[in-house]
Amino acid sequence: MSRLAQGLTRTPFYVLTGGLAVIFLYPIIWTAISSVSAQPGSNQVSGFGFGNYETVVNYQAGLWTYLGNSLVISATAVVVTLVASTFGGYAFARFSFPGKNVLFLLTLAILMVPYATLLIPLMTWLKAIHLNNSLIGVGLVLAVFQLPFATFMMRISFEAVPKEMEEAALVDGCGSFGALRRVLLFAVKPGLITVGLFAFLAAWNDFMVPLFLVGGDNQPLPLAMVNMRQQVMGVIDYGATQAGVVILTVPCIFLFLVLQRHYVNGFMSGALKG
Amino acid sequence: MRKVHPRGRTRLVAGLAVAGIALAGLTACSGDDDKSATPDPTKGGGESAAAEIGVDDGTELTMWTRAPLEAQATRLVKAYNASHKNQVKLEIIPNDDMESKVGGAAANGELPDLLAGDVVRVPYWVDNGLFTEITDEIGSLPFKDDISSGHIDAGTVDGAMHTLPFVQDISVMVWNKDLYREAGLDPEAGPTTMAEFKEQAQAVADLKKDGVSGTYYGGNCGGCLVFTWFPSIWASGEEVLSADGTESLLASDAAKELYGIYADLNKSGAIGAGSKEETGATWVAPFQGGNVGVMQYPNTVVAAAIEAGIDVGVGPIPGVDGGTSTFLGGDAMGISKDSKNVEQAWNYLAWMVSEETQLEVVAKAGDVVSRNSLLENEFTKSDPVAAVAAEAIPNGRTPVAAYFAEAFNASGSPFVTMIRNATFEATNTVDADNDAVTEILSQ
Amino acid sequence: MTLTQQSPPAAAGASSTPPRRPRKASAKRSLRAWAYASPTAALVLVFFVIPVVLVFFMSGADWPLLAGNKGVNMPDNYTDVVDHRLFWPAIWFTLKYTVIATVLLIGLGLGLAFLVQEASRWRAFLRTTFLLPTALGLASASLLFYAMYSPQVGPIAPLLDKLGLTEGVVSPLGTPTGALWSTVILIVWRFAGFYMLLLLVGLQSIPGEVYEAARIDGASRSQMFRSITIPLLRPSLALSTIMCVTGSLLAFDQFYILTKGGPDSSTMTVVQLVYNLAFESKRDLGMAAALSVIVLLALVVINVVQLRALQGSDDGTGAKKKGVKR
Repeated sequence: MSRLAQGLTRTPFYVLTGGLAVIFLYPIIWTAISSVSAQPGSNQVSGFGFGNYETVVNYQAGLWTYLGNSLVISATAVVVTLVASTFGGYAFARFSFPGKNVLFLLTLAILMVPYATLLIPLMTWLKAIHLNNSLIGVGLVLAVFQLPFATFMMRISFEAVPKEMEEAALVDGCGSFGALRRVLLFAVKPGLITVGLFAFLAAWNDFMVPLFLVGGDNQPLPLAMVNMRQQVMGVIDYGATQAGVVILTVPCIFLFLVLQRHYVNGFMSGALKG
Repeated sequence: MRKVHPRGRTRLVAGLAVAGIALAGLTACSGDDDKSATPDPTKGGGESAAAEIGVDDGTELTMWTRAPLEAQATRLVKAYNASHKNQVKLEIIPNDDMESKVGGAAANGELPDLLAGDVVRVPYWVDNGLFTEITDEIGSLPFKDDISSGHIDAGTVDGAMHTLPFVQDISVMVWNKDLYREAGLDPEAGPTTMAEFKEQAQAVADLKKDGVSGTYYGGNCGGCLVFTWFPSIWASGEEVLSADGTESLLASDAAKELYGIYADLNKSGAIGAGSKEETGATWVAPFQGGNVGVMQYPNTVVAAAIEAGIDVGVGPIPGVDGGTSTFLGGDAMGISKDSKNVEQAWNYLAWMVSEETQLEVVAKAGDVVSRNSLLENEFTKSDPVAAVAAEAIPNGRTPVAAYFAEAFNASGSPFVTMIRNATFEATNTVDADNDAVTEILSQ
Repeated sequence: MTLTQQSPPAAAGASSTPPRRPRKASAKRSLRAWAYASPTAALVLVFFVIPVVLVFFMSGADWPLLAGNKGVNMPDNYTDVVDHRLFWPAIWFTLKYTVIATVLLIGLGLGLAFLVQEASRWRAFLRTTFLLPTALGLASASLLFYAMYSPQVGPIAPLLDKLGLTEGVVSPLGTPTGALWSTVILIVWRFAGFYMLLLLVGLQSIPGEVYEAARIDGASRSQMFRSITIPLLRPSLALSTIMCVTGSLLAFDQFYILTKGGPDSSTMTVVQLVYNLAFESKRDLGMAAALSVIVLLALVVINVVQLRALQGSDDGTGAKKKGVKR
């Protein structure tokens, strides 16, 4: 659709897209600025400063505990999501086997259940299998919530890889696993990075699942954040909330920018052809 | 990958077996740090001394409280842990998710040793057997009649007591003295009747200052409305609920007059922007920002308003024609049904309501004490809020009803609908709306 | 995805081997396929199927939140839920919200994808910009917008007042229409980049040669869009639409934080009603589970219909989809 852009004269195009960019960036910038500005009811009542960040760092068990828990949960979710969806996506894309459609639909059905209802049964169930109050347990559950998207994505990615690539590897004497490992994984790298990134974002930011499934010192950062914003009679400490949002978001934005080089380049190689 | 398959299957088989057990309702093995040395926690098992102060043997106790009370809870836990062998581990639960977290834990037998909850929710919890009875323990306290009764009453069913006051939160009237001066009002004289409240709010609104309003209320926040408006009805000599908590009496003359005052203020534009959709999240912010003339307020936030540079006047909440009252809110705490350390948990509770704790931990930090004889103490001499609290608390009340939260606090509750109809829409449907509240209460 | 269902087995098998093979080999191949699918299968079974079975079980039982299982009471929970005063309003509102959100998100996602798919510094910057909101959790984003909409601390209310859209500085969340659109704006801001990315992946997978061939055949741009881009984008579009429709039908966090279902229950979604029944008003897990089962069944039906529709119109373009999927 490069012609679409060319059809427009340059200036209106930049004005339009620039305006869009401002709209998308504004809320984040506003939050970042507000988090260091003075606000009534926060730890920063006058002038600019990092009072709200002090609130966050010193809250209860301390920022580092919460960050550590968040990291364990996110890492588990990312690894489990990647492993399951890569193998699963490959199986769905390249094989036909009895029960394939049932399993695939079942995986998609995860999307269709209100998770608010699943949490109480999950609480009972995880306790029964001794995964209650464990960060790994939370990571597994969050990975399962990511599976529909991840499996679908990986399936599409594998389907898009020309069969010839795989065949060449198989002719060279690789088994299907060898072909997957040596050839296909590279070909589906953009899909892998997308799936991994979104699994990370979902796990990193979720507070509902950990709220039900872990307690005590196992709380992750978003849960601490939700706790921190609430004061007497439901009042929100906007300063601390905004500081918390910034702390939560910085690693995500960092990952975006770093990974962009990999997956966007992957995209772009095909793009100009269109 | 080959490894994953068998492992998945073993877990599965084991899982399925356990699932059957779980379905059968067996909730085994909670309380991993259960000390075998702990005496069997049946009530009254120990001697009277033990009943009075419980056991302090280095047990780790778990405690849950909701996020808004984090500061108060942390102070108490720190002081206790510093002076006792028992160690309390505090966990903070988001306010809005307290009920769901407690419900899930209760179903799984995973409640903490010490459980604190909003005093209006406690009766329902007690009804459902979430707490261990502590009638004898409370009875053994020499000062038991001195403990403010609202939080004990909330946890009492058929004479069996389950809870003690954990944090007191009361509602007071506050006004902005600077705005009062500008409006030509006496900055030292707040409203003593709701009619005066209306006049004073109107006077501030008539300043027509940008962003400044006469008063402000949580028009979409059942909890705020209950907390701030019930006292006016009590102060007018009326009741809000029948004694058994199954009937709403909010269509009384005093109540209607109260709604009328707010309806008039709405009409004249004296109510702050955002009141109508205020869900409670920013409920106290406009006053802290210096943008409200006079309003009912939680006493726990008054200090923050003063810190924010507002010259705050504080008084008790008046009735329609005078009188004063307050809502004895805050949280009550009890020992949960799942606690394996009842005597150790009682050690904490007894310490919590002791004179020394109430003075050195609670009063010192500027909070309201739970012992009537200590309401005026060395820390409150210079504190205008404390003086008002001491005056209002004896007239204060805590409404008790099993379905209180559903009728009043829940989002979209019939009570909120009634207030919105009466004060924003002026639909004249108070009687019918009140019946809808009763319908929930009497289920 | 299920699009493959209808294709002939030989193509779906997509094997490297010649079409006819002894039965043993095909059994072995099935086994290997299952081995690959086993981590997914294990996770789905343990963390999804079993809890869902429990939900079904709860929906047929008298199960108060705090009191636990009190025995079977089928079908009381279902009749109680359907008779609940907010049941039909919640369904109606959820459907309305879903249509608005899906149309806006897919439309905007597609538009943004076209806008940024080429390689240039400016477009790379735009792509990053549009994607940034995706980095925020939905709860954080909702809180952020709650602050922005607040007449006390946020910039939106004064702006609306200056534009003459509201009388005085009031929160846009105050009226039913305002609350709906305020939430839609939040969702579009948070998710447009995500759907842009999904569709971008689809766009990238369209082989350039297809366009080349069409160009040589003298196809116009709109012809190419209609008969190449859209059909070849179908798997990505299907994924996006299904995720968007399903996600919107299950909308919870955004309304839970922004509106609490208000004003006057006008923005109560079905899942919020589930939460409300379970934890706020009735505190009845049985009723909440019954409503969840109703929602689950409705979503299965809706998604089957969607899949049918999305693959039904696929058949005419069979020749062209070779490059994408088999």
